[in-house]
Amino acid sequence: MDKAKLEEIARALRREVMETCIRAKTGHCTSSLSSAEILTVLYFGGLVRCRPAEPDWPDRDRFFLSKGQASPLLYVVLAKMGFFPEEELKKFAQVGGMFGVHLQRSVPGVEITCGSLGQGFGLAAGAALAAKKDRRLHLCYALLGDGELYEGSIWETAMFASHNRLNNLVAIIDRNRQCVTDFTENIVALEDIGERWRAFGWNVRRVDGHDVAALYDALADLRTRPLPGPTVVIADTVKGKGVDFMECVPLWHGLAPSGDLATRAIQQL
Amino acid sequence: MSNLTQRDAFWTRIFELAKKDRDIVIVSEDMGAPALDQFRVELPEQFVNVGIAEQNGLLVGAGMALEGKKPFVYAIAPFVTLRALELIRVECGIMDIPVTLVGVGAGFGYEDSGPTHHLVEDIAILRSMPHISVNNVADAEMARAVADYCATAKHTNYVRLERKLTQNVYSVPPDIEKGFTVFSEGADGVLVASGFMLQPAKEIVAGLKARGKDFGLIDLFRIPANEPELVKTLAAAKKIVSYEEHFLPGGFGSYLLEIMNDAECNRNILRLGVEHAHGYNYVYGGRNEIHKSVALDVPTVIDRILA
Repeated sequence: MDKAKLEEIARALRREVMETCIRAKTGHCTSSLSSAEILTVLYFGGLVRCRPAEPDWPDRDRFFLSKGQASPLLYVVLAKMGFFPEEELKKFAQVGGMFGVHLQRSVPGVEITCGSLGQGFGLAAGAALAAKKDRRLHLCYALLGDGELYEGSIWETAMFASHNRLNNLVAIIDRNRQCVTDFTENIVALEDIGERWRAFGWNVRRVDGHDVAALYDALADLRTRPLPGPTVVIADTVKGKGVDFMECVPLWHGLAPSGDLATRAIQQL
Repeated sequence: MSNLTQRDAFWTRIFELAKKDRDIVIVSEDMGAPALDQFRVELPEQFVNVGIAEQNGLLVGAGMALEGKKPFVYAIAPFVTLRALELIRVECGIMDIPVTLVGVGAGFGYEDSGPTHHLVEDIAILRSMPHISVNNVADAEMARAVADYCATAKHTNYVRLERKLTQNVYSVPPDIEKGFTVFSEGADGVLVASGFMLQPAKEIVAGLKARGKDFGLIDLFRIPANEPELVKTLAAAKKIVSYEEHFLPGGFGSYLLEIMNDAECNRNILRLGVEHAHGYNYVYGGRNEIHKSVALDVPTVIDRILA
């Protein structure tokens, strides 16, 4: 794990996400910016085993972006990994483009279509159960938003996964503390998130979600030293990370900056 | 033909298939059946009970299907369908992941349980989505044929099963993809029914005969059916009557109107079903009492057709 290199990749991903969304005048910038280090560590830290030239490689690790609104980030990651030409990013949400604002399964490297919350996680649990039954060794990762935890289906899946000891299932929660209109703790408080997941039978780890080394350490041993049940990594992050006027401003959810703000955002990233 | 309920016939067949195909898995939302008891003992690796958690049941089934499994997600009909509806839309409609949804208690099947357990909207809702077919099962023979069909299906099938024992109406397996069976033709018209309603429908046809009217009987058991053939069959009938245990908007009768209209074969169709004016049903004392309360009992229907 080359910390400096991963940090540089995360910065590059942020710039590319912002340029992609500004160009398209749409996209969930802030949701993508908070997850940049998480996806950097997963994909460029080598934790998600995959073959860009063979997207459906049967032994690949499955990555389920349950917070499907962060699709710009995943698309940038997959383009940089070589799943499809980076030129496609210029057509994000444009006529003739291969993808739009929410996640689309037809894109090489993408496992599911996702825009409706509380679903990718359950699909990941089903895929993990299937892998167990077939004695297959790949991992199933699911990245959840913290606002997504309001969905009841998340907790149905959480208790199911621990009961079935799905230690090939790894959930990562992007704990950016914001939802669409307000901070989560003002809407319906989610803390103590860790205790909630522990009560549902999960192994819980909590790290700074912008610290690539901490993220790597929290995730890397789950393949080689599997725990008895599923593990959730709660990654504390900042929504809109890297852009001063977007950080911690809930109303930027789902929007791309334009004009002077767009210039300022790119300069800061 | 064995005297089995539809669900026992269905699961007995799935059990036979699952012994040879380990990709067949049952995702039960804490729903059993006598025929599943043996399945659970002999094939525990292919039986998953998610508890009363219909959203997770659908998601786990769909997630397994992504990995090549053939999931049969099973619960009481209103819950396996409507409780998880938006997830069915995303996973089965939008993503086109093949999942078989098995629901027991079509229409007023849970007659004594009141409207939470009745299901008179599902056909309209599920047939509105691409990649999802509705199969309204008539008897044990059809249940077996639908089981065979679903075990190799490339898209989602919703299997709507009657709760109690139904009379056998088929002696040979029906053509599932055709979606309808003409049992008889009639000089004065045709009655189109489905599932449990085939039983009173047979009495209606006999009653009409006694009053001098010769009506044929069609079982429309699958949507979408082979529509050109169905239109051709209906176009030849002097009068068309649909008879269903479902709210009128979007049900089988609506489906007939749509396909006849689109084929530029416009016909008046007398649609007999549950009217919104009847609302949800709290009548107890048996299926026939419920039918009387919504004007779907045999004598009333005969009078309505002859009116």
